Amino acid sequence: MAAVGGGGLPAYALRRLLLAVPVLFGVSVLVFAVLHLAPGDPAAIMLGAQATKEDVVRLHRDLGLDQPLVVQYVRWMGHVLQGDLGRSIPLGRAVLPEVLLRFKATLVLTAGALLIAILLGLSAGIVSAVKQYTWLDRISMGVAVTGVSLPVFWTGIMLIILFALQLRWFPSSGMSSPYGSGVADVLWHLVLPAVTLGTASAAALARLTRSSVLEIIRQDYVRSARAKGLAERAVIARHVLKNAINPIITVLGLQVGFLLGGAILTETVFSWPGLGSMMVRAIQARDYPLVQGGVLLIATTFVLVNLVVDLLYAVFDPRIRYD
Amino acid sequence: MTTRRTWMIAALILAIALVSGAGAAPPKDAIVIGLLAEPVTMDPPQITDLNSARVTKRIFEGLVAQELGSYKLVPGLARSWEISKDGLIYTFNLRANVTFHDGTPFNAEAVKFCFERQLNEQGPYYKTGTYPYVKGFLGNVQGVEVVNPLTVQIKLKAPLTPFLQYLAHQSLFIYSPEALKKHGKDIVKNPVGTGPFKLETWEPGVKVVLARNDQYWGGAPKVRQAIYVPIIEAQARLAAIKTGEIDLTMDVPPDSLDSLRKDPNITVAESNSSAVWYIALNTRHAVLKDKRVRQAMNYAINKEAIIRDILKGTAIVSSGPMSPVYGPFHEEKTTRYPYDPEKAKALLKDAGYAGGFEVVFLVPESGSGMQQPVEMGTVIQAQLQAVGIKAKIQTMEWGAYLKKYLDGPDMAEMSWNPSIGDPDHVTYMLLSSDRFPPAFNAGFYQNARVDELLRKGRATVGDGERAAIYKEAQRIISDEAPWIFIDHGRQIIIHRKRMQGFKLHPNFDLVLTQVWLQ
Repeated sequence: MAAVGGGGLPAYALRRLLLAVPVLFGVSVLVFAVLHLAPGDPAAIMLGAQATKEDVVRLHRDLGLDQPLVVQYVRWMGHVLQGDLGRSIPLGRAVLPEVLLRFKATLVLTAGALLIAILLGLSAGIVSAVKQYTWLDRISMGVAVTGVSLPVFWTGIMLIILFALQLRWFPSSGMSSPYGSGVADVLWHLVLPAVTLGTASAAALARLTRSSVLEIIRQDYVRSARAKGLAERAVIARHVLKNAINPIITVLGLQVGFLLGGAILTETVFSWPGLGSMMVRAIQARDYPLVQGGVLLIATTFVLVNLVVDLLYAVFDPRIRYD
Repeated sequence: MTTRRTWMIAALILAIALVSGAGAAPPKDAIVIGLLAEPVTMDPPQITDLNSARVTKRIFEGLVAQELGSYKLVPGLARSWEISKDGLIYTFNLRANVTFHDGTPFNAEAVKFCFERQLNEQGPYYKTGTYPYVKGFLGNVQGVEVVNPLTVQIKLKAPLTPFLQYLAHQSLFIYSPEALKKHGKDIVKNPVGTGPFKLETWEPGVKVVLARNDQYWGGAPKVRQAIYVPIIEAQARLAAIKTGEIDLTMDVPPDSLDSLRKDPNITVAESNSSAVWYIALNTRHAVLKDKRVRQAMNYAINKEAIIRDILKGTAIVSSGPMSPVYGPFHEEKTTRYPYDPEKAKALLKDAGYAGGFEVVFLVPESGSGMQQPVEMGTVIQAQLQAVGIKAKIQTMEWGAYLKKYLDGPDMAEMSWNPSIGDPDHVTYMLLSSDRFPPAFNAGFYQNARVDELLRKGRATVGDGERAAIYKEAQRIISDEAPWIFIDHGRQIIIHRKRMQGFKLHPNFDLVLTQVWLQ
């Protein structure tokens, strides 16, 4: 888990950050290649049936799409290195401020979903481990398996029909009311998409927490803790959870990636104004600069989250050293 | 313990959110419209999608305008116009005392500036955008001249009658030159026009708020604000209109239309549109080049059943490129293709394909105006199979599909909703031999008489003579069956009853100037 070498934590973090450079470079080549080699032409999509030969040619030239792919890539990378992600083709807007703005909304959704995943997942996992083989355990795990199996677009639409259309407790879509504003308004809009996105993660987390806790709960020191008369609640919180937490954190880190991916569908179902719903549209329009910029941002986030997760191990398990 | 505390906090947040949310109701003087997606751009010459047009056409205007609810041209920013006898010089007399939303004056210089920005590739503002339709709409323009501050002349290279209709298209709408100079490429999010509404705020992905222009030359609109929100998912649009979160929307699940019609708070407004949904047949294909085969394919398809069972009645049967909304230009007496598998088999036998044949059939998974492409494709495949034609379906995503479509496939689904209200824009655009790929005559249909008529139609002035030209072209096209004609989609808009005075437009625009709230 921990890297070997001198310099301690700061040096380790720096090394990891440097390692991220080739990873992101690889991502940039990959996304560029996949996008440009996939069939489709932004000019043809924009023009539709009104296309004229002259307009197709002119648009290709104005967008630089008439150049060889390598030239296009080098030109794009050159701008990226100067902090310029270019301009979206149909939107005409600068990519960087646009993806950052959308990313904020995605982070709100992901944070909401993560909170739900942790609340539901951890408690369900702990309960079913402590009460192993009881009806509580079976129900929790049954729900968890169902949760993992349900696709978010289905869950999302079901929640809209039940809670927005029938019960009218929550709005059907968007991040705020067309005529309202404020934090409470955003939270009200956040509930359904966050539950949709968080449920699947909660389920995965519950199953892992259960097995992780079950492993620790049989250890001698847990028996000792009980033997010295500690309340069961204290035993679980202080001795079991603290030791069971590392694998859970690893999975949480991976879940962030899963949530960022799941956010694409969830955002589309709920018209959440995040990066995901924007990327779907950008891919459909073959908006190369926007998709490339968005993927780079997501990849960077994922690399950073994994780094933070690795650093957190030492916080929870002092046996781990980064030296 | 920690868990319990977190739970309580979460419950509290939820309770607060619920209480606050429950109080939110639409304001009395603002209309909320649920669009399928937010606008892409608000720079008129860069617009290529319907959502952008639906919002931006409230902010900007053209020299000429379309009458509410029809394609009839009426004065816009020009009070009147004259066309020279040879059809080459258009002189526009502009409205006086009209100002842009930024206070700068609208005049002949502004008109010249807007057209030359797109036309002049060496001009100082050409690089402030990309103009998808400039060659199509302005390619025939020789020059724009300012005669005096309120008179502008446009000279054409060759007569082009639909040009006047082009001027009612957002690509040629007039915007504030000063705003463009100020914002440069960022003009896409800083629209400044002369229209009845002006942009108040645009929160990307969240909402666009337009405010009433109290100085509007045509009289200020009755509502104070128009708020547009993107609602991507059809079920969510349905929920939002039913609960009153929004006042107007479109494209709800077809199954829900019956219950919406019964809802006392909701009006379902319907009308025919200029849209056409068809299957292009490759007239260069070894088998499909035979007219009898193409006619057989038209007889083999039960269009009524497709409209009834898949489209739930949201379309009418098609027998040519032009729908009835073209009024005097629409030909009623074309060759019809009622569902008749026996006749189809007879025609195939006649053509020497009694044993049938195989073709590749391209079907997109979804796409602009494509209705239910996969379900419709599957039924069409089965009905062709019944007369012996084996159509092998290939489905793909829209972007890839368009590319493949322009490669000239055997047979492929397509739809077209012309934004220009001239018969030229559906016939010439889709069926002239001048328009082979990369333009949209993907079946390479070529008929000398049709080509002659369509070229003549573009250059002829006078509705009576043009009507005769287009009617003849429609008769030949229907008989030659370069497409399997399927349907003309109906336009369906759902709005709350509190919104009054709304009228549908054949090109799917949502005009709000005359709308009021009860």
